[in-house]
Amino acid sequence: MKTLRLTIIVSLLAGVFVFLYSCSSTENTVTKVKKDAIVHSMSGAQLWGENCIRCHNIPSPASYNDTDWSTIGLHMRVRANLTDEEAKKIFDFLKTAN
Amino acid sequence: MKKILLILSLLFLVENIMAQEKELLSKIDSIVKVELAKKSYKDSKTQFMIRGYGHTGFASVDTNGETESSFDGGTFAPIFLFKHSERFMFESELEFSLSDGALEVGFEYADVVYVLNKYMTVRAGKFLLPFGTFMERLHPSWINRFTSKPLGFGHDGIAPSSDVGLELRGAFYLGNTKWNYSTYVTNGPTIKDGSIEPDEAGMLAFENLIDNNNNKAFGGRIGFLPFADSSTEIGYSIFSANGTGDKDSQYENIGAFLYALDIAFVKQVNGLSGVVDFKGQYNHSKVDNATYFDAEENETYTFDNVSDSFYVQLSYRPTMSGNNFVKNLEFVSRYSEYNTPEGAKWESNSSQYSFGLNYWISWRSLIKVSYETSDIEGGHGASGVSNIDSFAIHWAIGF
Repeated sequence: MKTLRLTIIVSLLAGVFVFLYSCSSTENTVTKVKKDAIVHSMSGAQLWGENCIRCHNIPSPASYNDTDWSTIGLHMRVRANLTDEEAKKIFDFLKTAN
Repeated sequence: MKKILLILSLLFLVENIMAQEKELLSKIDSIVKVELAKKSYKDSKTQFMIRGYGHTGFASVDTNGETESSFDGGTFAPIFLFKHSERFMFESELEFSLSDGALEVGFEYADVVYVLNKYMTVRAGKFLLPFGTFMERLHPSWINRFTSKPLGFGHDGIAPSSDVGLELRGAFYLGNTKWNYSTYVTNGPTIKDGSIEPDEAGMLAFENLIDNNNNKAFGGRIGFLPFADSSTEIGYSIFSANGTGDKDSQYENIGAFLYALDIAFVKQVNGLSGVVDFKGQYNHSKVDNATYFDAEENETYTFDNVSDSFYVQLSYRPTMSGNNFVKNLEFVSRYSEYNTPEGAKWESNSSQYSFGLNYWISWRSLIKVSYETSDIEGGHGASGVSNIDSFAIHWAIGF
């Protein structure tokens, strides 16, 4: 029971932390650059090759048109827990490569 | 003479007018063509799309020396996606399958999705639970490398697949590492008290569309990807309910705590000229002790209600082979175990080895050939040890 309560409290605190972090407008610019640098340095093609393969084969860009990729992108962003920037880069790449 | 001159003048004038008109029409036509070329195709803001997957095949099963074989009618699982905007979507999946000669319809999930911001997305409705990764991400027939689920998943398994409730999820970077999270509240599982099926007393039933006792379940998963190439993910999940029995019953306050550990490593390894894919998940279920009634023996009994299951799977695909046939092959193996409580009517200890050879026709369609050998000791409605060897061929497609 103690472990359960602690787990729930930690989960709630983590949720609060993420909410506050996401709403923060006073984030240090240098920290943000460092944190995002890793994604900024990756192309959509690279992210496509590294993330999609975690569950299934890498999809062919020609499989769908731009509108379809836009819809699939939102579905996959949620299912695969992609970050916002990863999802945008991957699906922008797929729409230019189809 | 004057008349002739007048006629000639008129003819000259008309010809001039016609030439000017023709030139004007030609100019208008050019302008229209230029403007049409400038107009670019724009996505519609909303879109309805049907995706999904299906499979069919053949299986031969030998149980303690008795063989049965049958073509498998298969599964058709349409996924409906309606994108209202860049942030707002509805998604749903049904599953139609033939089992024991009858059509079974499964309501896998139906939920709305809203992206609050870069790091938070809300889902509400019936959704696949992020309890580990197998049921949420890996169970579709064109993604699962085998023709069966690992032990402990699916019907009579201990790993929950979906529930009705509200979820908050997202992903973010911390330094050079990537994290994803999910936290949710749902109706929760129901404990089977044995009144309907005595052999299942103490088992948990998931996917309750209605809450049976006003006690909600809480859960979540945290996933950690330590490397920049996202090749490795480690996850920890929990699913907890303070009460699982029907309201005002003796089981109302029987709680349950489940946790899972998952790991995945998927990477193209140049030294091996192909893609190595390693996945595993461990599930643990602890239900509070309770007393059940055995109608056959006319006595009550109890047991320590702890179950666990796990699987590890390794596959290799020689994607860098120069041979077009070879590079579409995939060699896969899996080991899984499932152990249920000693003293329960559904007590069992099972282990399974699986070996498979897949051929990828396209990135989302494959033929799976698999051999599985299982040893099952006990199980509800059974006693003793059963040896089950099965051979199956499936064709699966995602669309």
